[in-house]
Amino acid sequence: MNRDWADIWGGLALGLLGAGVAIYAGLRLDFGSLRAMGPGFFPTVLGVALAVLGAAVALPAWNRAAESPKIAWGDASAVIGAILIFGFGMNRLGILLACFAAVLIASLPAPHDGWRWRILLAASVTLLCWAVFILGLRMSIPVFPKLP
Amino acid sequence: MKQQLIGTGNIAGVGATITRRAALAAAAAFALTTPAFAQEWPTGPVHVYVGFPAGSSPDLLARIITEPLAEKLGQPVVVENKPGAGGVIGVQQMLAAADDGHSFGTTINGPLTTAGRMMPDLGYDVATDIQPVALIATSPLVLAVSGTSEVADLASFIDLAKAEPGALAYGSVGQGSGAHLTAELFNNAAGIEMLHVPFTAYAEVTTSIIGGEIDAGFMAPSAALPHVAGGKMKMLGVTSAEPFAQIPDVPVIAGNAGLPADFKAELWNAFIAPAGTDPAIVERLNTEVNAILSDAEVQKKLLDMGWQAAGGSAEDLAARITEDTEMWGAVIDKVGAAQ
Amino acid sequence: MTAWEGLAHGFGVALQADVLIYCLLGVTLGTFIGVLPGIGAMAAISLLLPITFYISPEAALVMLAGVYYGAQYGGAVASILLRLPGTPQSAVTTLDGYPMARQGRAGVALFVSMVSSFAGSMLGIVVLVVLAGWLSQVATAFRAADYAAMMVLGLVAASTIGSDRPAKAFAMVTLGLILGCVGTDVNSGAQRFTFGQSELMDGINLVALAMGLFGVAEVIGNIRNAERHAAPERVTFRQMMPTRDDLRRMPGATLRGTGLGSFFGALPGTGSTLSSFLSYALERRIARHPERFGNGAVEGVAGPEAANNAAAITAFVPTLTLGIPGDPIMALMLGALVIHGIQPGPEMLTARPDMFWGLVVSFGIGNLLLLILNLPLIGIWVSMLRIPFRFLYPAILIFVCLGVYSVRGSAFDIATVAVVGVVGYLLALARFSPALLLLGFVLGPLIETNLRRAMLISRGDPMVFLERPIACGFVIASAALILLSIWRRRIAADSH
Repeated sequence: MNRDWADIWGGLALGLLGAGVAIYAGLRLDFGSLRAMGPGFFPTVLGVALAVLGAAVALPAWNRAAESPKIAWGDASAVIGAILIFGFGMNRLGILLACFAAVLIASLPAPHDGWRWRILLAASVTLLCWAVFILGLRMSIPVFPKLP
Repeated sequence: MKQQLIGTGNIAGVGATITRRAALAAAAAFALTTPAFAQEWPTGPVHVYVGFPAGSSPDLLARIITEPLAEKLGQPVVVENKPGAGGVIGVQQMLAAADDGHSFGTTINGPLTTAGRMMPDLGYDVATDIQPVALIATSPLVLAVSGTSEVADLASFIDLAKAEPGALAYGSVGQGSGAHLTAELFNNAAGIEMLHVPFTAYAEVTTSIIGGEIDAGFMAPSAALPHVAGGKMKMLGVTSAEPFAQIPDVPVIAGNAGLPADFKAELWNAFIAPAGTDPAIVERLNTEVNAILSDAEVQKKLLDMGWQAAGGSAEDLAARITEDTEMWGAVIDKVGAAQ
Repeated sequence: MTAWEGLAHGFGVALQADVLIYCLLGVTLGTFIGVLPGIGAMAAISLLLPITFYISPEAALVMLAGVYYGAQYGGAVASILLRLPGTPQSAVTTLDGYPMARQGRAGVALFVSMVSSFAGSMLGIVVLVVLAGWLSQVATAFRAADYAAMMVLGLVAASTIGSDRPAKAFAMVTLGLILGCVGTDVNSGAQRFTFGQSELMDGINLVALAMGLFGVAEVIGNIRNAERHAAPERVTFRQMMPTRDDLRRMPGATLRGTGLGSFFGALPGTGSTLSSFLSYALERRIARHPERFGNGAVEGVAGPEAANNAAAITAFVPTLTLGIPGDPIMALMLGALVIHGIQPGPEMLTARPDMFWGLVVSFGIGNLLLLILNLPLIGIWVSMLRIPFRFLYPAILIFVCLGVYSVRGSAFDIATVAVVGVVGYLLALARFSPALLLLGFVLGPLIETNLRRAMLISRGDPMVFLERPIACGFVIASAALILLSIWRRRIAADSH
């Protein structure tokens, strides 16, 4: 049936997260008193609030029709992969290699065929990033791969 | 020449048969047996990790030392700011980067003394992972109250606190901070009780004291000093054993108003290396840091920022770490700040 | 010294050749730093710190201040063109600036933002000169209870932004507040939701959160369909010019934004973020057709931009008159003065009038330079949109990563961007407002610490929120706002 699935799933996820936060904070952190509120006071209260709000988002959506958005999992994975390769690679591979690899991966889902432009793009972004951040802003990141 | 190649961890030219472990072992062996290694050190830029952001007081202090150090070593000295977790991240990053005797750190006392008691996962053991190099500088804290407060001196402050236990509130820069622990040490020694109100920065504590929201606070002298001149704040006592050169008129707390004569609480800043650093390098660094600290201009720069140049041997620093870890450990146990 | 004598004195300082050059250097660097996503004034200051050792203290302060307010101009550029806010303040600018760019009005949006920024700054300077004494008294009069009540008002007022369903808006604010709890609890030292990661002990990195929620989420959503949004072929001066309708809407919004920014900026803390959100909320509330907001309303750019620039100027009030830095960047700037043996503090105004008035005049000169520098750049920025998105977005991702890394040199923060990016993408698909999440995240820790501090100091008596006039005022205003919106909804429901 054509329900407002975005709000149903969104509300459900937030509600569960809120309940989880409230339970974790309630069990692990001291609630304290009104005078000396403990570290658990805010998270517990906020967790309960989010659980209630999540339900308030999800329940009315059940009887509402709406178009469901499509999630582009492939695009998301490429972007996330590129960021992670760059983040964890730059101190070991050096900024040049990490940047080149990250741009190649990020460009994979782009709706345009061919390898030439991807490699050219990776090379020019790498050059630009070296010029701006290493040459210009003098950031302290290894440029070349660290040999074992 | 070949020794130097291995010693710097650059084994590209040595051949693929040597594994990393073997190369490190060889480097360590050469380091112990050949004094030539330390003489050729440093072979590249030296990195000094600082656990606070650029422009902060610990960072500026580090730069006062690293600038002349670069000249003396003949290699650039790069300050690496890795702020976070009260300076602990800086120490962690120094340990993670250390592989070739070119990564060191300067840190405040917290990560070497109290952090082990306050944090569940420190990621390092001060006793086995850290090689002390030299104490750079020390700073006491001052007990400050509002300029409009009726309290005139330490004795009348303690009298006021005793009149109604728990009525006075003091500010600190966070649970387990030097300001908090010093105040608790003081409470203990003076036999008084004050309400602890944690803030995040001295600027907030200052506003709160001047605005009359809280009554007192132990603060860095340079944080309180600007407000004393305008009459907005009064300094009742200083926590060092001797009067502090930046504020010579402020009486020491020790032995004053019935407090024990050995009352002393100081923050400090030290130069450290990862454990396992070539002793010759540690020795060289200790000598250079001491030489830099004996320069009158450096001393003045430090004092302007509220730091008294210290110096001394690596063993002195090691002893200081042990001593302070015990002293603050007792306070932490008492106030239940440990996790 | 009267204000006129002071200003004359200030011109003498600020017009010195070296001070002028460093002012230009500061604002230019500030603009570019602001345009680069994630790289903030912190990174710029660490870059410039070594230079400050060798120049006069006046020039050093003028230069660093130039970076600080110059970054506010630049911050709007990436927000409008790419929905990449470097700071929470410029996150507000994305709400209507980015839709304007999508409608091919990027040039107008940038023009409006520059002009409002300039007007906000200039009026902010007037406020600084005329009302500095009064504002500094206000700043010391504020106590923990007042701050907590003020932030709550900010949250209540802003919760109407960007979502048609109140439950979704409040859910985002609450999620932001929860994320703000991550890290070491100031009051107890307890670790909350850090799961043994020392990188989380100081909380989630704000820049990583902003970049992930907005920039990365936008990239993921646009990879396949961005090529459709073609930018104008050539940017002529006419395309930059606002229409008559835009011009009619701008002045009021700019003035109201300046007023909010000038007042809240002077309060130590997060005045500039709060004022830009409040300005947006105010414009939306008083607009005859609030549904225009979020779809490219000019007031939604003009108001918040004027507010955050005015706030960037009046943020110097507590710093200069009380010696109390309002935010960490301000504290770093004062640290640079200490290097020169100048003790920043309340007596600076009397002891070093050259410093104070020189800085004030340099604000004016710097903002003029910024306007001259930025107006011609608009064409260049807009022409960036002509680059096909498939060439642009991998570069955006790399710049975002390096920008986040520049904050504290942590690879962990880059991983945070990746995770937040996916979450932000999913939230955007389901039409949840990321701006509200960010606002909750920024204000949450301030509300919590101030509320707990107020209760601690009052020894557990909640009446403190009603007994103090300032706090009570904010509490009443918050309550009134909530009642007003319930009443409006009821009327709207009845009329159906």
